[in-house]
Amino acid sequence: MRAAPEWLAPSSLEEALALLAERGDEALPLAGGTFLAALLNQRLIEPACLLSLARIAALGGIEGGEELRLGAMARHRDVELSPLVREGWPAVARAFGVVASPRVRNQATVGGVLADADYASDPPAMLCALGARAVARSAAGVREIPVEELITGYYETSLRPDELIVEVRVPRADRAVYRKFRTRSHEDRPCVAVAAARRGAETRVVVGAVAGRPQHFPELCRDGDAAEIGRRYADAIEPIADVRGSAAYRKRVIAVEVRRALEELAT
Amino acid sequence: MRVRFALNGEPVELDVRADETLLTVLRRDAGILSARESCGIGVCGACTVLVDGRPTSACLLLAPLADGAEVATAEGLGPDHPVVRAFAEAHAFQCGFCTPGMIVAATALLAESPSPSDAQIRHALAGNLCRCGSYVKILEAVRRAAA
Repeated sequence: MRAAPEWLAPSSLEEALALLAERGDEALPLAGGTFLAALLNQRLIEPACLLSLARIAALGGIEGGEELRLGAMARHRDVELSPLVREGWPAVARAFGVVASPRVRNQATVGGVLADADYASDPPAMLCALGARAVARSAAGVREIPVEELITGYYETSLRPDELIVEVRVPRADRAVYRKFRTRSHEDRPCVAVAAARRGAETRVVVGAVAGRPQHFPELCRDGDAAEIGRRYADAIEPIADVRGSAAYRKRVIAVEVRRALEELAT
Repeated sequence: MRVRFALNGEPVELDVRADETLLTVLRRDAGILSARESCGIGVCGACTVLVDGRPTSACLLLAPLADGAEVATAEGLGPDHPVVRAFAEAHAFQCGFCTPGMIVAATALLAESPSPSDAQIRHALAGNLCRCGSYVKILEAVRRAAA
């Protein structure tokens, strides 16, 4: 039988960052743990050490102002139900509120869903469309990473081994929509997700769940009507084929769902 | 490592591995058999328990994360609990495998919204799968328990 991982559960962020600085190569940060528990159950990972962030109360907050500030340990369900988020960032409440089931949303966190970089999660595309940034801390300092640059591929991020996401900052938009197209009844993950946001004259359209990272093409959104932009996105994206749809099927759905998202954005 | 939590109101202390789930240790060490493993990836709801009042997939919660929590399972409700009675009266099951998870999820819903709409019930139980397809009766049972 393999050795049980060591369990580290610091109660302050400083302590957690010091542990990561010292043992970043072997210590795996753990937030809500939905993703890591599934990987552990299937024996896909065998970490030497798990670094739980659950006892760091300072990471759980949700605050508003010019920007929405979601603590890394805020749970999906908290974001979904927060009156502050529903009022000022309704599309964010929606994107977190359509993830999986109430059970998973009670456990999964804001920082976790970004650090996992699972291509079939809902929130990343919406956060990209809104121009959100992740605040990453290490013992050496702090930096802000646009969500667009944070997720670099399937389950890959630009985080360094000594860094933790501590907060996500979401600017306001004039209007934003999140559309989730499902093809499977049993699992509630998107085949194609489209997040769109309008701020002044700028419109951002991001397609999620179709490739290793959220797909954003600013140059395709500058002119043309909704149907034309939908066709351009379908042409520009090389979709994955998986149990939720073939690549060819996804291309057709992308064209339709991008058009619908832009039409909804205009209402 | 040692993990301490309240299980259906009684303090328990269990010896666990850091990579074991709450479901594994509840079934192996705490005599809880109402929470069942079916999918093992948080999709089916057969292992639903309440952690600090919130429905949670015990198969996705690493056991050390339950430390200090209040954990509640169907065993803690007993045969006279209104939700349990409503499920029996409405015959809201066929094989019964999913039933404890359904009952636990319904209990949490009713604690939050004592008179839920059908849409709220469906939303709260979305993600609790019944392969016998008893959904119509399950909906009826939750309505009955709410009344």
